[in-house]
Amino acid sequence: MSAPRRPVTRVLIANRGEIALRILRACRQLGIDAVVAYSEADRESRAVLVADEAICLGPANAKQSYLSAPAIISAALATGCDAIHPGYGFLSENAAFAEAAAAHGLTFIGPSAAVLERFESKAAVRALLAKHGLPTIPGSDGIVTDADAARRAAATIGYPVILKASAGGGGRGMRVATSDDDLAALFPICVQEAQAAFGDGSLYLEKYLTATHHVEVQVAVDDAGTALHFGERDCSVQRRHQKLVEESPSLALTAKVREEFLARAAKAIGAAGYRSLGTLEFLVGPDGKPYFIEINCRIQVEHPVTEMVTGIDLVALQIMLARGDSMPFTQAQVERRGHAIEFRLTAEDPANDFRPQAGEISGFRSPSGPWVRFDSHLYTGYEVPPYYDSLLAKLIVWGNTRGEAIARSRAALREVEIDGVATTRDFFLGLLETPAFLNGDATTGMLDSTGTAAILAAAPKVPR
Amino acid sequence: MDDQRANDARDTDELNALIDSLLPVLVDRLEETGLGEIEVERNGATVRVRAEAGPVVPAGTAQVTKGGTARQGNESPVLSSEVREAADARRHLIRSTAVGFVTLAPEIHVGAKVAKGALVANVDVLGVAAEVRAEHGGIIAALKCSSGDPVEYGQPLFMIEAIGEGAR
Repeated sequence: MSAPRRPVTRVLIANRGEIALRILRACRQLGIDAVVAYSEADRESRAVLVADEAICLGPANAKQSYLSAPAIISAALATGCDAIHPGYGFLSENAAFAEAAAAHGLTFIGPSAAVLERFESKAAVRALLAKHGLPTIPGSDGIVTDADAARRAAATIGYPVILKASAGGGGRGMRVATSDDDLAALFPICVQEAQAAFGDGSLYLEKYLTATHHVEVQVAVDDAGTALHFGERDCSVQRRHQKLVEESPSLALTAKVREEFLARAAKAIGAAGYRSLGTLEFLVGPDGKPYFIEINCRIQVEHPVTEMVTGIDLVALQIMLARGDSMPFTQAQVERRGHAIEFRLTAEDPANDFRPQAGEISGFRSPSGPWVRFDSHLYTGYEVPPYYDSLLAKLIVWGNTRGEAIARSRAALREVEIDGVATTRDFFLGLLETPAFLNGDATTGMLDSTGTAAILAAAPKVPR
Repeated sequence: MDDQRANDARDTDELNALIDSLLPVLVDRLEETGLGEIEVERNGATVRVRAEAGPVVPAGTAQVTKGGTARQGNESPVLSSEVREAADARRHLIRSTAVGFVTLAPEIHVGAKVAKGALVANVDVLGVAAEVRAEHGGIIAALKCSSGDPVEYGQPLFMIEAIGEGAR
């Protein structure tokens, strides 16, 4: 075996919660040492408790810990690591961080700084991928600099339009405008949100498609430019652009559209110069055609859905690509089998407008059984800190068919017990009784049209 | 099993040697400084010497523990809880303010006097020094690190014991 192009023998895991555990497991499986970096608020977190080694980055405030490039790189050097895994969120797509890591001789497990820079601006990426053959939604020609420019762009595109943060993600800095007045009022709010969340207030505009499915393609590209896809995920069940449920395959694509679409996505992203693991996000309109919206240059929360249908460990693959390994399989060897669904169990109260919860987990029972996967950092007595994302656990269930996966999901969700904080469990139990979801008609607007209350009311009572 | 026994025996020998070499020095230092307790870490072993703090315990109680990193450090109390609390109330850990490599100020050693607010260490974070200042004045009772060591945020660097009422 030839020596890796970039060293990855000891990884600093610069993230928290379930993804820190997931990365730790991938490292152990690959025989790579791992050190979990954590903030003061996560001293008692499960990743820290099960790690062979852990190092405290700084205080609970993410700016001084998980978002502090100097603290993370210094921690990597202090613990003798030669690589950093940023997980998702935080600094995972930050080109300056990737560059600083490389400057200190550390392998960034993700795209290189140059690639991240190339794919940093959403407006530019849309133009780039359109050039490589991906259809995009009509939108502004790059960044709209002020409310007037936005209005001019909207006049060409036609209302409704959606304002989006060019540096953004996760639904922040994103608003739908239905008129000129609306747009003028929302523009400054979006700039402010984008500035606060991403340190960049640049906005662009897109035609807002109603009744769409959110479909994304998992891709991976090695140093040589070999680009593969691993099928698609449907993430249409969303609340305010936050994904709640993901599944694969998507019912929004016909068999005829699917294979051509997936192949085209992989080809385009390889040709556009992307390297590493990534996800291309699309909206599928009522015409059944996918339109590219954005790329995520990192491992995603919902990656296990793809792992369940392909049997491929995506985190391990991401690490291997980071050290410069060649793609270990061909497209033909990537087989997709059956159907998988993921439910994001969060510390949010669906009966109370999904208000975030914090506090001690007074009781915890995880589900189990054949083809049931439960990725969680919870344990009884764990204190859910108020500072970070509210994700508590991901339940991922596989079945030969969608019907079988749904039936198993119902059974698994009933086994979930999380006491001490309100969670989204009952919302999912209700969703699994909701016709729009069962028929595969769930679009990104489903929560608004069906209503959370109706979904909750459909949930069967689970005896305690 | 035999390996374990051999290791244990070697550990015991090392600890005994450590006690023989350090104890007289530490007892002298205890008297000179008026500290209630001195603790020294060497090669993963901790030697702790406590002065008589009341009628309950004999003078110069020494306790030795092996293999104490911050995460494993479960030290059993040798003093009654009241005496321990009285001593602990005067003791303050000076902690690292950043993650990186520590450099202790030159005057920092066991028995040295430190003024409140004094710059006692720097933690190098990618070439930028994060200052560590003494939140309390007093005398250094125990060193928990050496210059050049990698340290994490919040890691105890040394212990200061306040001098004043209650001190000998």
